[in-house]
Amino acid sequence: MTLLKQLMSNRKAVVGLTLLILIILVAIFAPVLTEYSPVKRVGRPHQPPSWDHWLGTTRLGHDVFSRLVYGARVSLAVGFGAGLMITVVGTVLGIIAGYRGGVVDEVINFFTNMVLVVPNLPLLLVLAAFIGQASPLVIAIILGATSWAWGVRVTRAETLSIRQRDYIKSAEMLGEPAWRIMAFEIFPNLLSIVGINLIGSVIFAVIAEATLEFLGLGDPNTVSWGIMLFNAQNASALSVGAWWDLLSPCLALALLGLSLALLNFAIDEVANPRLRTGGMLKSWTRMVRLGEGKL
Amino acid sequence: MTFLLRRIAFYLAAFITAATINFFLPRLMPGDPIEIMFASAGSELSLENLNALKLTFGFIDAPLHEQYLAYLKSVFTGDLGRSIKYFPLPVSELLGRALVWTLGLVGTATIVSFSLGTILGIMAAWRRGKLFDSVVSLIAIFSSSVPAIVVSLILLFVFGYTLRWFPNGYAADPLLDPGLNWTYVSSVIYHGTLPMLTLVLVLTGGFAVTMRNNMINLLGEDYIVMGRAKGLSDSHVMLWYAARNALLPTVSSLAIAMGTVLGGSLIVEVVFNYPGLGNTLYQAILARDYPVIQGQLLIMTGAMLISNFVVDLSYLLLDPRLKKA
Amino acid sequence: MTEQVLSIRNLTIDYVGGDSNFRAVKDVSFDIAPGEFFGLAGESGCGKSTIAFAVSRLHRPPALIRSGSEILVGGRNVLDLDDEALRSFRWREVAMVFQSAMNSLNPVLTIADQFYDVLRAHSQVTREQARTRAAELLKLVDISPDRLSAYPHQCSGGMRQRIVIAICLALNPRLLIMDEPTTALDVVVQREILQRIDVLRKKLGFAVLFITHDLGLMVQVSDRIGIMLEGELVEVNDAITIYNAPQHPYTRRLWASMPRLHGEQIKPEANL
Repeated sequence: MTLLKQLMSNRKAVVGLTLLILIILVAIFAPVLTEYSPVKRVGRPHQPPSWDHWLGTTRLGHDVFSRLVYGARVSLAVGFGAGLMITVVGTVLGIIAGYRGGVVDEVINFFTNMVLVVPNLPLLLVLAAFIGQASPLVIAIILGATSWAWGVRVTRAETLSIRQRDYIKSAEMLGEPAWRIMAFEIFPNLLSIVGINLIGSVIFAVIAEATLEFLGLGDPNTVSWGIMLFNAQNASALSVGAWWDLLSPCLALALLGLSLALLNFAIDEVANPRLRTGGMLKSWTRMVRLGEGKL
Repeated sequence: MTFLLRRIAFYLAAFITAATINFFLPRLMPGDPIEIMFASAGSELSLENLNALKLTFGFIDAPLHEQYLAYLKSVFTGDLGRSIKYFPLPVSELLGRALVWTLGLVGTATIVSFSLGTILGIMAAWRRGKLFDSVVSLIAIFSSSVPAIVVSLILLFVFGYTLRWFPNGYAADPLLDPGLNWTYVSSVIYHGTLPMLTLVLVLTGGFAVTMRNNMINLLGEDYIVMGRAKGLSDSHVMLWYAARNALLPTVSSLAIAMGTVLGGSLIVEVVFNYPGLGNTLYQAILARDYPVIQGQLLIMTGAMLISNFVVDLSYLLLDPRLKKA
Repeated sequence: MTEQVLSIRNLTIDYVGGDSNFRAVKDVSFDIAPGEFFGLAGESGCGKSTIAFAVSRLHRPPALIRSGSEILVGGRNVLDLDDEALRSFRWREVAMVFQSAMNSLNPVLTIADQFYDVLRAHSQVTREQARTRAAELLKLVDISPDRLSAYPHQCSGGMRQRIVIAICLALNPRLLIMDEPTTALDVVVQREILQRIDVLRKKLGFAVLFITHDLGLMVQVSDRIGIMLEGELVEVNDAITIYNAPQHPYTRRLWASMPRLHGEQIKPEANL
């Protein structure tokens, strides 16, 4: 709870969270925000932004704004779905490896390091290419299955240091079962790392989904930001001057990424007091200026 | 020495893993793997050519493990099959040509962004809480959250199409003959500027934050305080006591970052129509040219492992604790 | 009265917080005479290390030395020094052994480099000269000069401790501050280090400010002792008086809280 309270007094967290909630609201209330269907031809091709079409139309005459707000649903769903999967796998494996040690640790650690050195995007491309036109769900599953290694590494490292603490030793002496120690003694101490892992994974998943679709591995009938980029690129939107077609999903992706990154930096600052440069430094500087003292 | 040997063995294992994924993927898909792999060829492939390709990918009349060994054998002899779209061009040749451009782009971008990020991180940590630190943090937040696709498209729009300061594609003026003369080299630099800039913008922030946080976590260490107590100048303590030690974890994070760098270059090349691996791959994906798609995984993994090895070597140079152990 | 090596007058130090400040040192004054072995004792968090850091002005924000405080070293107020004067004052006049002397050496520099940088920062020396001087200093603490090319991780904990002491002596300081320098070492090594410091002090004539929570150990080595409680200096007296007839109730409580297993003062027989 204190973590939450501290977060709420962090400016980065507040700005990031507000942005994120705004994007989520837009996704939920998409049908209210636009009268156009995202998949129907509602205007002439490549019309510039106007009162009728706030962000113009695509080459197929779809309304860009309505594709954007409906597309937010897919980005958020894939981002949070895959992000959650990545985090759960990473945290569970990381705690088990770090706490159990021995052979279990060596096996998990070996696979983790292996996955870390096989470059992620090229691997995703091969997987997605064989699956064919991957739907957002399939993309989320592939992302979840291949991207947990970083989480295992940081969680394991932290678990290793927590394991040495006295209260874990005493819980062991008292004969608590291993799963209880891992779930109730270790996990609560990893919350900030899990939080950072979760948000980082969501950012990664959002970007990776857009990237795979942009590269032509998605299902072209999906309404998502990545497919919007793919279609705009295929329609040579920039060279025909239809910048709105390409830049709208760009800015949407940037905004979502930014809101999540702000949250992530905020958690890091709250969890790691050394990185913080909050109010105390301000009052310190003021007192030095007033001549109340020095270093 | 044992440290390096262990790393090499590990890298070999990782490479075989990538090859194994390649081997099993078509066989795990529903349907006939041969059909899947070479479907896009249609009837253009003669029976003889098809049989040669089948052999390369281990589709032989033998039990699975012999098929696997046959595939590994072709991989380790450098035979990655032939491109179906550009038949009969060998995949290794197609990707090899593209690799040169990608390595140039990725290598320069990594060196520039790592140095820049590290310097910014050092200065931000030393001026913690001051304006400079806040500005670096802000840059880092943007840089680590805005994806390469977005940055490259915006740069292309602004500097390529609107201001027309930089070209919209190609690695050099197509009318020039490649050669080591200033006209050609300057054309390469001119064409490479926007792709490079994208990668540097995307990568620098991450390196800066890593370095800053590593430094700040060290500033309370006794040897840093002792450095100050010894009357060394601020810049000496900053560089030789704090930064020099903070560089170690930063360098090891570089190894993991290499995956992001390679991935970023794939996107950037597609957007800027740059003739590297990314663009070649994009064309292969559109044509479902599976031998090329599989080949790029092996080549990218190879590139990743080599850069990891370089990081290992530099770590060995930087950390005296590893030298004699 | 001869001039004091260190005179602290009305020293007050705050840790500035967002809403309120924490006063770590409250109006503390004391003196250390040339060649004196002065001990500062108290529980952890009582402000004794904060004083030690203030003498070389090593604090970082949010610590704040309040105006009106004076720290006189050789008659000069350290708090009035500008950056360059402060830099050249550090180590030349006051050297310091830190709490975990084991980690006080920079892990990526050789021992020779860590002598060279401090000598170089205060005088024009060549690498050769610095190496010769470093070898002499290491001899004072019984370490062979071939250790100069080693890195800290190649030396044992006790050895690193002695190397730090040798570096401290590099510029013949007037005052050596030891901030709980022995907490990480076992009792035998602790005793050995303190005896060595005492011998060197007599030979080279520097004064020592020794900080520890171990009053028993302190009584064995110090001339005079100050007792600190929650930022205040509650009693300053001769070591004998502190041991035999403590004046302040807190000093008595401190004694009561530890088993008196320590022997006689070790100083008399340590005359080597």
